[in-house]
Amino acid sequence: MNDNRTAWRSFNKGVWCDDINVSNFIKMNYTAYDGDSTFLEGPTARTQKEMKRVHEFLIAENEKGGVLNVDTTKVITILSHPAGYVVDKDTDIIVGLQTDEPLKRGVSPFAGIRSSVQACNAYGYEMSDKIKDEFTYRTTHNTGVFRAYTDTMKKARHAGILTGLPDAYARGRIIGDYRRIALYGMDFLIEKKKYDKDKLGEKEYLDDETIHLLEDLAKQIEFMYQLKELALLYGYDISKPATNAFEAVQWLYFGYLGAVKEQNGAANSIGRIAEFMDIYIERDLRENALTEQKAQELIDDLVIKLRLVRHLRTPEYNDLFAGDPVWVTLAVAGVTNEGKHMVSKTSYRVLNTLYNLGSSAEPNITVLWSERLPENFKKFCAKVSIDTDSIQYENDDLMRRMYGDDYAIACCVSAMKMGKQMQFFGARCNLAKILLMTLNGGKDEIAGDQIAPEGVAFGDEVLDFDKVYTEYKNYLKWLAKLYVNTMNIIHFMHDKYAYERLMMSLHDTDVERLMAFGVSGFSVAVDSLSAIKYAKVYPVRDERGLITDFEIKGSFPKYGNDDDRVDLIGKDLIEYFYRELCKTPAYRGAKHTLSILTITSNVMYGRKTGSTPDGRKAGEPFAPGANPMHGRDAEGALASLNSVAKLDYACCRDGISNTFSITPDALGKNEDDRINHLVTMLDGYFLQDAHHLNVNVLNREKLVAAMNDPTLYPSLTIRVSGYAVNFNKLTRDKQEEVIARTFHHAM
Amino acid sequence: MPGLSTMQCNMADIHSFESFAAVDGEGIRYAVFFTGCPLRCAYCHNPDTWHRSGNEMTAEEVFNKIRRYKPYFRNGGGVTFSGGEPLLNSDFINEIYPLLQSEGIGYCIDTSGSVELTDSVRHSVDNADMVILDIKFHDAGKYKKYTGGDIEKPLALGRYCTEKGRRLVLRTVIVPGINDTEEDVGEYARYVTENGLKFEKYELLAFHTMGFFKYENLSIENPLVHTPALEAKKLNELQTYLNEILKSQEG
Repeated sequence: MNDNRTAWRSFNKGVWCDDINVSNFIKMNYTAYDGDSTFLEGPTARTQKEMKRVHEFLIAENEKGGVLNVDTTKVITILSHPAGYVVDKDTDIIVGLQTDEPLKRGVSPFAGIRSSVQACNAYGYEMSDKIKDEFTYRTTHNTGVFRAYTDTMKKARHAGILTGLPDAYARGRIIGDYRRIALYGMDFLIEKKKYDKDKLGEKEYLDDETIHLLEDLAKQIEFMYQLKELALLYGYDISKPATNAFEAVQWLYFGYLGAVKEQNGAANSIGRIAEFMDIYIERDLRENALTEQKAQELIDDLVIKLRLVRHLRTPEYNDLFAGDPVWVTLAVAGVTNEGKHMVSKTSYRVLNTLYNLGSSAEPNITVLWSERLPENFKKFCAKVSIDTDSIQYENDDLMRRMYGDDYAIACCVSAMKMGKQMQFFGARCNLAKILLMTLNGGKDEIAGDQIAPEGVAFGDEVLDFDKVYTEYKNYLKWLAKLYVNTMNIIHFMHDKYAYERLMMSLHDTDVERLMAFGVSGFSVAVDSLSAIKYAKVYPVRDERGLITDFEIKGSFPKYGNDDDRVDLIGKDLIEYFYRELCKTPAYRGAKHTLSILTITSNVMYGRKTGSTPDGRKAGEPFAPGANPMHGRDAEGALASLNSVAKLDYACCRDGISNTFSITPDALGKNEDDRINHLVTMLDGYFLQDAHHLNVNVLNREKLVAAMNDPTLYPSLTIRVSGYAVNFNKLTRDKQEEVIARTFHHAM
Repeated sequence: MPGLSTMQCNMADIHSFESFAAVDGEGIRYAVFFTGCPLRCAYCHNPDTWHRSGNEMTAEEVFNKIRRYKPYFRNGGGVTFSGGEPLLNSDFINEIYPLLQSEGIGYCIDTSGSVELTDSVRHSVDNADMVILDIKFHDAGKYKKYTGGDIEKPLALGRYCTEKGRRLVLRTVIVPGINDTEEDVGEYARYVTENGLKFEKYELLAFHTMGFFKYENLSIENPLVHTPALEAKKLNELQTYLNEILKSQEG
C-alpha cells in the first residue's frame, strides 16, 4: 500500500499497515489526555447559524406531529436521492443527508411492506403505487417469517410472552466499522472482500453456509461500490484513505450515512469513533492545519448530522421504542488491554457538543467507565450528566474482560467488537407473564387461551414456593426452546430478505455472531417469587376459574434493598433461564447472549400482563430493564444499585440496564459536591461489577410541569432505558410511567 | 441515662436506613436512623422516630449492612448515625466501632446533644470522625419551650468536642416566625462563640413541610401546621449573614 504514504504520514506503523486492524492503529497512535475541560471551545458563528436552521426544522417537525415529511415516491436506498444539505453546500462542513432534505424520511419496505404502508398512513401519507407495485412480487422479511412461524410461535407472540420481536421491522443493532473507510479507503476494503470471496470459493465442498456467505460477500461488494457513488454525489472520492481530520470524519460519516439510507434497523449505532478521529485531529493540530476552534466545529457538525437521522416507524413500533430513537450510540473513553486509559481530547469534544448544540437524546453518548479513567474526565462526565441528563455509563472494566479494548455499544447496552462481531437482535420475553401462565397451567390469564402445554394444577390454598418455582422453571425451559427457534426463523429470513449489505461489508468476513435474547418484567417476577416465599399469597380466581388476582398476607423482602433473600432469587432465575436458552443451538452458529433491558416496552408489557403475586395490578407498567419496581427501593439509592449489581454479567452479556434518577438536592449541596458524589457513586457501583447506569439528575416536579405544558422545556432530555429521549416526544402513558419511577431524594 | 438499648446484648431499635445520604457529613454517607428521642421539637420533621419501631438489630447485623457500601466510602464517606437521638445508643455505637474500624469505615454522629455526658457517650464521641451538633436555640427559655429539653446538655457536648479536638459542625433549623431574623442569627453566633465552641462550619437549615404527612399518619398534633416552609432565598441570606459575623468575630 505504497500510495498511502501521504494519508498515513507521521503515523506510527504497525500490523495495521498490512491488514485491517483499526484497533492496532488506534493504540499505536492515540494521544491520551489527562487534563481538564478548560481547552474546549464554544460553538463558532457558522455552527450557530447551522443550529438555528436545525431548530427551525425541529420545530416544524414537532408541529407536524413528529414527522416533517415523507418521500413516498420511491424506496430509499444508498443512491435513491440527490445530495441534500442543512444550510447549503458551502455552509455544511460534514455533508450528507438520508434524503434530499433534512428530516424528510424515506420509505424502506424491505423488512415488511405492510408495516411501511401503515407507517405512511399513520402520518397522513399514502405510499405510491410505484413502491407497492415493486413489492407485489417481492418477499419481505416479514412475509418470510410468518410463512415459517409455527402456530405456537404465533400464539406466544400474540399473547405477549414473546413480544417486540423484529419480525415486522428491521433488526438493527449491527455496527459497521466505519473507521475502516477513513483509514484504508474503499478500494482496499473492496479488494480485501474480493480476495475473501475468491478464497472461500476454493473450498473442497461448498456447503450451505459457504454458499450463503459467498452470496453475502457478493452483496457486500456491490454495496461498497454504491457507497463510493454516494460520496461522489457530494463531490468526494473515498476510494483512497483520508488524508486529514476533515476527510477522516467525512469518510467515516459517509459509511454511516450509507448504512442508515440502506437500513432502517431498530438501532443504528456508530460505534467507538472519538479516539480514532482524535488521531487525525491531533496530526492536523501538529501540522498547524487546524485550530481547537475548528476541531470542535468539525465534531459539532458531525453531531449535528447524527442528530438529524430519521426512520419512518409505525405506531406499534413507537409503543416499543418511544421517542423516535435511532440509537446513534457513540461510545467514548475506556481503557486498553494494557491498562492505559483511552480518553482523548476528542472524548471531551464529543461531550462538549451537549453544551455547544444543547442537550439532546442523539447521539446516545455512552461513557465506557473504568476506575482508571483520569479523575478530570470522570468529573467532566459527571458535570455533563448533572447539566444535561443526556449520557449513560457502562462498565469498561467488566466488558473489556469479554470484548477486549475495541468494542462498542449498539443500541443501549449491547457490547460487540468493532467489525468482528455482529448481533441478531431478539427483543424479549415476558418473565412476569410466564409466571402467571405457570399458575394457570399454560393458559393466558387475560384471553384464557391455552398457549403453553398443560401443567400441574394449583388449588386455592396458599401458594407453595417450591412447587411454584419448580413449575415455573419447567415453563421457562419450554419458553427458552420456543424463543431460540423463533429467533432462528426471524434471523434466517432477515438475512435472506433484508440483509445489511453495507454494514456487514465493514465487518471481517469471518464474523462472530451473537444472538441476543432478552427478558422483561424481571423485578415483577422476582418480587412475586419473594412474596410467595416469604409472605402468604392466596390465588383469587375469576368466573372462568383462572387465577387473575392474589391476596397477599404479610410482608416480604423486595428487590432493590440490597437484601440477599430476594436478590438471590433474581440471580438464580436469570442464570437458569440463560442456561436453558443455551441448550437450543442458534442460527448460523451464533453465541447466545441475554439482556435485562426493556427500552420503553415495560409499559406495553405491563399492559399485556394480569395482576401479579407481588401486588402489582393488571395492566400496570413494569419497571424498566433491571430496575427495582417503582417505590419499593426503600433503603435509598445505593441499596437499589447494590441489588442490581449482584446480577451476573457473565450470563447477561447483552447488558443489564439500570436507570437511575436523583434530585439535585439529594446528590449534594453544591455543584462540586454533586460532581464528586456522582463520580464516587459510579466508581462504587462499577467496582462491584455492575454493568450499566443511566443517570438523571432532576426533580420530578420539572417533568410534571413539562408534561402539562410542553412549551416550558422544549428540549428537555431524559434518560429512559439505555437511551435518552426528548421528554416531549413521549406519549402521555410513558411520561406518566417515567414520572412514577423512584426519584431518590433528600431525607 | 442508660439509653433505649439494653446493656446486655446491645440491640438497637432501628427506624430505617438511607443508603445514599450525601448531605449529612462528608462524601457519601450511609445513614442509620435510630428510634427514640428525649426531645419533642415543635418543628421535628421525623416524629416517626420518636417511638420504637420494633425493628431490633444487633451491632453485627447493622455492621453487615453498612459494610456492603464500602465501595462508595471514598473521598471521606462513611456512616452517619442519626435518628431519633443516636447518642441514646452510645453503647451500641461503641460496640459497632471496632467492627467498622476493622474495615476502615469511619462514622459521624448527627445529634441534638440532649443527652447526659456519660462515659459511654464520651467514648462514642471520641471515636467519631465528626460530630454534627444541633444548636436548636440560644436561649434556655426558648429551648425549653420548643424542644422540652435543657439547653445546657448540647452545650456540654459541644464543649467536650472542642476540648477533645473533635471535628464539629453546628446546625440550626430556621423556622419562620420563630428564629428567622438577622437578630436571631446574630444571637446564635454570639452564643456559640461566647461559649467557646470550636467548629468547622455552622450550617443553617430551612424548616420544611415535607414531614407534615407523618404527623397525620401518626395522629400526632402538629404544632406548626400553619407555618410555611422557609424560602431558599431567605435561608441563603441568613447563611451569608451568619458567615460574615463569624468571620468578623474570628478577625
